[in-house]
Amino acid sequence: MGPGLILGHTDGSGGGAAGASTRTTLLEARGISKAFSGVPALRGVDLTIEVGEVHGLLGANGCGKSTLIKILAGFHQPDGGTLLVRGTKTDLPLGPRGLRDWGVSFVHQDLGLVPEASVLEHMALDSQVASGSLAWINWKAEERRVSDLLERFEVAVSPKASIDSLRPLERAMVAIVRAVGDEQAKENREHVPQLLVLDEPTVFLPRHEVNQLFALLKRLTSQGNSVLLVSHDLDEVLEATDRFTVLRDGRLIGTRATAESTRDDIVFMILGSRNEGSERTFVESDETRQSRVSLRDVSGERIRDLNLELRAGEVLGVTGLAGSGFEELPELIFGARPLRSGELEVNGGVVKSANPAQMMQRGIVLIPADRKSEGAAQELTITENLGLPYLREQKSGWWIGWPKLGKWAYGVCQRLGVVPNDVRLNFGNLSGGNQQKALIGKWLEGSPDVMLLNEPTQGVDIGARREIFRLIRLAVDQGMAVLCCTSDYEQLIEMADRVVVLSNGSFQYEVVGASITKSTLSSAVYSGDAYESDR
Amino acid sequence: MNPTDEAKTRGESDAGRSSTGRSILRETERFALLGVWLVLIVFFVLMLPQTFPSVANLSNMLGSQAVLLILTLGLLFPLRAGDLDLSVASVLTLSAVTVASLNVNFGWSVWVAAVVAILAGVLVGAVNGFIVTKFDINPLIVTLGIGTLVVGVAYIVSDSRTITGVDPTLSDVVLAKPFWGIPVDFYYAVLLCFVVWYLFEKTAFGQRLLFVGQNKDVARLNGVAVNKLRWISLILSGGIAGIAGVVYVGTTGSADPVSGAGFLLPAFAAAFLGSTTIRVGRFNAWGTLIAVYFLVTGITGLQLMGAQQYVQQLFYGGGLVIAVVLSKVVRNRTEKSQIAQQE
Repeated sequence: MGPGLILGHTDGSGGGAAGASTRTTLLEARGISKAFSGVPALRGVDLTIEVGEVHGLLGANGCGKSTLIKILAGFHQPDGGTLLVRGTKTDLPLGPRGLRDWGVSFVHQDLGLVPEASVLEHMALDSQVASGSLAWINWKAEERRVSDLLERFEVAVSPKASIDSLRPLERAMVAIVRAVGDEQAKENREHVPQLLVLDEPTVFLPRHEVNQLFALLKRLTSQGNSVLLVSHDLDEVLEATDRFTVLRDGRLIGTRATAESTRDDIVFMILGSRNEGSERTFVESDETRQSRVSLRDVSGERIRDLNLELRAGEVLGVTGLAGSGFEELPELIFGARPLRSGELEVNGGVVKSANPAQMMQRGIVLIPADRKSEGAAQELTITENLGLPYLREQKSGWWIGWPKLGKWAYGVCQRLGVVPNDVRLNFGNLSGGNQQKALIGKWLEGSPDVMLLNEPTQGVDIGARREIFRLIRLAVDQGMAVLCCTSDYEQLIEMADRVVVLSNGSFQYEVVGASITKSTLSSAVYSGDAYESDR
Repeated sequence: MNPTDEAKTRGESDAGRSSTGRSILRETERFALLGVWLVLIVFFVLMLPQTFPSVANLSNMLGSQAVLLILTLGLLFPLRAGDLDLSVASVLTLSAVTVASLNVNFGWSVWVAAVVAILAGVLVGAVNGFIVTKFDINPLIVTLGIGTLVVGVAYIVSDSRTITGVDPTLSDVVLAKPFWGIPVDFYYAVLLCFVVWYLFEKTAFGQRLLFVGQNKDVARLNGVAVNKLRWISLILSGGIAGIAGVVYVGTTGSADPVSGAGFLLPAFAAAFLGSTTIRVGRFNAWGTLIAVYFLVTGITGLQLMGAQQYVQQLFYGGGLVIAVVLSKVVRNRTEKSQIAQQE
């Protein structure tokens, strides 16, 4: 809580011109508390959002930030506390529309767009809601209004484009303009500042496009609106926010000005402990190490004539722009996508017409990018999900020994610190970080030779992320080979022994050992020339 | 104290606290249908003390539903794998007229005829599975089409007539030797219940089938041969529908190309209603047994009280819709508790 911030000019780029001098409070939450069946999720949290700022909301999974957002959205009712919008106290409990009628709009991670419908139809839908469902829609006028709106926020998307023809970034931008712009156009009150709540908007975006999204946020704030940005990504927070608030275990840890904080400060606030700055060592990939997987002139959907060698005991990172083919590689090697041409060798033996079952037998496992829809069946129990690949080994005679399997699954969860560790619960009861820990633990149980990772820490909080890296490192030290395909450079810096950068489906660069830094990676990804000049 | 430890203790107490409350709820849910069934039985026993609890009525109720129970147990395989098989009742019809026609019109041994009929069911299932998996088409449409086609074949086989006079040795085995006053086909159905229960709950096959039904991508990435299992499950439902057809001929001694169609909706009603009990949210053998006899108890009781034919449609149709609504409500509630638990 700090009224009268002396901020705003620290970041010279976007919002300098428009009204940065007189900061007033847009939203103020005081002493918000909430408990679920007696377990407190929020314990008297304060949050103040000024007009014209981008405000970050941070914390590990389970810290209470989602609960806070859901209270603003009217999904949960707070047990105590007050909410003020532009100095006016709101009546609690809020209705099912939450603060929406107070000029607060929400964009959630899944964006809430229908793939088959057009941009125009989405936005017309909202004004229809405003004008009554049987009112005549003037499509011409609607289209003009929508294209004006898109233009005002410099979003280069045709109103007639259907959502599924848009890139992820464009979809995110449309969702944002829809949430904020429509409210303004409808009420015709452009001077009333709006608050946009963004819940992890960048999780599904390619790294290099995130900046464009932030530019859009700058445009919003320069017009007098404010943004509350919920994020796990510290770089994002450092880059895009003016101030940020950290929650831990349902408590307010503090609100700080971003310009006065370092990455380490934020980590300390989130975790309550310092990052152990242990120096990394790198494994050298040479002939003395056994080759686990080798690709010879392999082509897939995007990948073209790729040659790659993955050796025992190393972590090989693969990255590139979205669409460069790195996302395809894990499933291609695992036999879950068709190999168009080329040769795949596993442990020295050529694999013909690969399929997942066969690859698992050869000691290869895959952790897919999309935990929720590909990693585990959310409505089946933890035991069932962990046990699926091991049913044959776990059989006692003619039966699956469920008690035995349950005990085994409990052991896996226990060792990895998965909570809650009641293995009879549905897998969907676990949070993102715990799901990923459980999945990695499940596959490590089979002591695989090779682990293929696809965006392994997407949407995972930094505590769990650290734990996941530690687990993988342990297995790698025992000789497991890891192929980690990700657009998260931070992760490659922490994990990888060498990184291969793909471009247009083909090999472009290899970055080895200590030279894996953010700048080398991003230059290598964007263009070859920049890589040379940028040391 | 570091945050993961904090989270751990909180998570543990969280799980411990809610799981006792939830497990009571869960147990009530599991046996709710069984309880309603017992209440229904007590109600009819009190209302109809002469007719309802008689041996003849009991024997009739248990025996008359064996065909439906067998048919539904077969249907559970594709349902568990996430596929709807609308052709099961048609296969039953085809199987029944095949047995009758081969035996009566062509003078084949009734046993050979039965084997041919069951193989015909397997063949229909194999064709269903082939089209569904090879061309990646929604099984709802495929089995709807194939099922109608199969009824056409049944008309050809039977020459559009009711075939009577099937070798009574079949009836002797299926029906005529009651055991404890209950027709033998009831015991066949219960035996099949055991088999299906064992396959679903105790084998890797049943577990993989479950994952295929829940999430095909997860199953595939765990090395499960998804399409092979879907195919097998459609073959099993076809073959078991064929067996149900043979048993049907055994109980009636005749076959016609029309009456089998009446089994389709009751089979789906029983399967879905069965999924709301014993193993809540999953298609299961014992739940199906309870559902089949719950539905017939209601129908028989009301008919004995003077209700007309319409009560069947009311019960089966209503039962299916209520079952589907119930399972959706259960799922929504678990989802909600999950959301609450995540934060």
